[in-house]
Amino acid sequence: MFNFIFGYESQRRRQLKKVAAAPLKQYLATPFPDLKTPIDRVPILALDFETTGLNAKTDHILSIGYVAIDGLAIQLESAHHQIIHTIGDLREESVIVHHITDDKKSRGLPIAEVMPRLLEAMCGRVLLVHYAHIEKGFLRQICQQLYGLAPVLPIIDTLVIARKRLDQRTTLYSPGDLRLFNLRQRHNLPRYRAHNALSDAIATAELFFAELELKKYTTPPPLKSLIQQPWSR
Amino acid sequence: MEIELQEIADFIAAIPPFDRLPGAVINQITRKISIRYLRRGGDLPPDNTKEPLLYILRTGAVSLFSSQERLLGKLGEGDICTFFCMEDEHHHFVVRVDEDTLIYTLSCKTVQTLLAEYPDELAYFHKTASHRLNQTVSEMQLNSSISSTLLQTPIRNIMHTPVITADSSITIREAAQLMAEKRVSSLILLQADKPVGILTDKDIAKRCVATGLTRNTAVSEIMTSTIITVGSHTDAFEAMMKMTRKHIHHLAVIDNGQLNGIISVSDLMQLEGRNSVYITNAIRKAKSIEALEEQSRTLPQLQRQLVQMGVPVNRISEMLTAVSSAITRRLCKLAEEALGDAPVPYAWVAAGSHARREQSGHSDQDNALIIDDRMLPEHQPYFTNLAKFICDGLARCGFVYCPGDVMAINPRWRQTSQVWGDYFHNWITTPSPKALMYCSIFFDLRTIYGDETILQHLRQEMLQLTPKNELFLAHLTHNALKLKPPLGFFRDFVLVHDGKHNDTLDLKHNGLAPIVDLARIYALAEGVEAVSTLERLNSVAGSRALSSNGAENLRDAFEFINTLRMRHQAQQISDGKIPDNYLSPSDISKLERAHLKDAFKVIQTLQSYIESRYRV
Repeated sequence: MFNFIFGYESQRRRQLKKVAAAPLKQYLATPFPDLKTPIDRVPILALDFETTGLNAKTDHILSIGYVAIDGLAIQLESAHHQIIHTIGDLREESVIVHHITDDKKSRGLPIAEVMPRLLEAMCGRVLLVHYAHIEKGFLRQICQQLYGLAPVLPIIDTLVIARKRLDQRTTLYSPGDLRLFNLRQRHNLPRYRAHNALSDAIATAELFFAELELKKYTTPPPLKSLIQQPWSR
Repeated sequence: MEIELQEIADFIAAIPPFDRLPGAVINQITRKISIRYLRRGGDLPPDNTKEPLLYILRTGAVSLFSSQERLLGKLGEGDICTFFCMEDEHHHFVVRVDEDTLIYTLSCKTVQTLLAEYPDELAYFHKTASHRLNQTVSEMQLNSSISSTLLQTPIRNIMHTPVITADSSITIREAAQLMAEKRVSSLILLQADKPVGILTDKDIAKRCVATGLTRNTAVSEIMTSTIITVGSHTDAFEAMMKMTRKHIHHLAVIDNGQLNGIISVSDLMQLEGRNSVYITNAIRKAKSIEALEEQSRTLPQLQRQLVQMGVPVNRISEMLTAVSSAITRRLCKLAEEALGDAPVPYAWVAAGSHARREQSGHSDQDNALIIDDRMLPEHQPYFTNLAKFICDGLARCGFVYCPGDVMAINPRWRQTSQVWGDYFHNWITTPSPKALMYCSIFFDLRTIYGDETILQHLRQEMLQLTPKNELFLAHLTHNALKLKPPLGFFRDFVLVHDGKHNDTLDLKHNGLAPIVDLARIYALAEGVEAVSTLERLNSVAGSRALSSNGAENLRDAFEFINTLRMRHQAQQISDGKIPDNYLSPSDISKLERAHLKDAFKVIQTLQSYIESRYRV
């Protein structure tokens, strides 16, 4: 009953009735995977945004990268990377971090042109991100601006999964340990060039696999045990 | 191409045969990759695999087993696993994931399509696969011949019973005493009469002696609590496979919960050694040189079989040396039958690898004759004829004449004990380049036939001289350091380019010989009598000459390089080639290459230590 009202599916159905804009309408028209689905059969989209800052209202997206995961295998064929053309000069520090200069940015596309393709890729998939706050915030903000509605987003957050695991141990950890790079190092995953949206999306997916294996399950756990609660921020 | 996938493309592009493909094809291939993560302990292919896949290891490691559970090899980062792409072949293999592994997969069909225009590169996959197939086939033939003893022997026929047990509350000291008293290498520990662990002599060495743990510690601290078991009806072959798989040396024999016996790897080895025992028996009975020749011809096949059975390399060398010793001994007997009894006692001695018990197949003959000092000038012709008879016989049996003329047919090396004593004295006190060369040959001597005391006395005299003679040791060191492991400045292999063995590593001269030389110097510096390299390293471990850690590293390096050499030669024998010591790095997996580099680094390190100790 609780799920019926607050669950992803019921929210999606309610929002579908309100939305008019085609790209978002199509996204909301596709059912989400059932929460009881074993994780190895859940269609997933690993996603990463590089942004000028943490605030979805005042900051901008610099680039996006995503790749589909089917059967717990990252499908590089679906990998996509896009630089976003934003208005205004780039702040220097974010240029240094992301290696995206004004010159490069000018070769990007405006976010309004990129969103339809992204929403199409997201159809029927659960998002996989590291530190969901950013991607969730920006996605909802942009959809609100472009289509007049902030959609419901089923998300698996590798940071939350890792934090839960570390919390269960008696040893202390520092917040820095939860960074994508550091967690990957702990799992002996290969070093990728950090701070590129697509390689971070792939890196997040690999980290997710490694975290899953740590759970030592005998049968793949259901989506429900990994997904963020719809009401969590 | 998304520039962001470049890192993955670069990784792929560095792996043969992809390294020969143009960038555009690499990019197409990269796009078709799926990335998966495999948990340790699982098998390939993963459960939800729908079509045959090619696997590229990004991190982690997997092991390949034959369907008979024989370990065929290991793959590590950057290695490709191709044989699931071969229609019939993958039934012959099991691939087990040793470590959590990040793996790139490609559909075999996709590879086929994308490489359609590159038949040579595509053939690479077939070649490796058929090569492996070849190996399995010859293995299966092997199992029916040589392993029949193992397959037909049930464990209950060779297990040790009753099992020596003790309560798990006893101390390590008490356990060690009990094991020494009962002459066993393992102990089953009980708690309320139930087996709770196993302790082996190796455990004591590794977990107590090596770590400095006090011997009053309870044995339960260092025992292994998982006891791996077999039933007494199991055949010996299966037991051996179980040991190989689990990397253990002892199995408890349990039937219906009842502990009935224990079996160790040496029990199995003894059983397996019957084949070389059979050959040496036949040699002992040989009535003519022709009959000896015939037995001797089996030597390469014996080497190949032992390698493929996974017998540890030191045991293989010992067995092969045992066969050539038997041949030599039989030749001595035949010579005495033909020439009559010797007028005075003598010792037929082997030098070099034969003396060190480190032979692989047919090596060159290195030998000498040491005759009792009572020899008279008129006895000369007898020993001349004896030497000729034996050396010619050895040559006919496939042990070619020594190119350096280090043989008893050379009058210089057919002398009385006193003359030999003078030789050694001169070499040690006035080192010259020639003298040093002889030292490296004649300091490794072993009596094969005749009066053993002659060599014993000579050796004792010599070993009294060497430890004191620092200048001699310095010269010997200087000489030994001429052979260096093939690691360049950037820690990569320096390959042989002599026109005949291009792009190979000389495992003998650049790998084994430096270790043999080091071990000899340590032994001479410490006045140690041992002759074989591993015995020498064991004897000097923890002495002034060599730390126990250094000894252990050198021992590992020696065994690893020797294993690669034996395997390489076994393959050459299978291919109908003449075995040599030149290994192409591309014939071994990336993981093994990494191990080989480590082994070479160990040699380099210890060479530089000894160099600084004995500066000339």
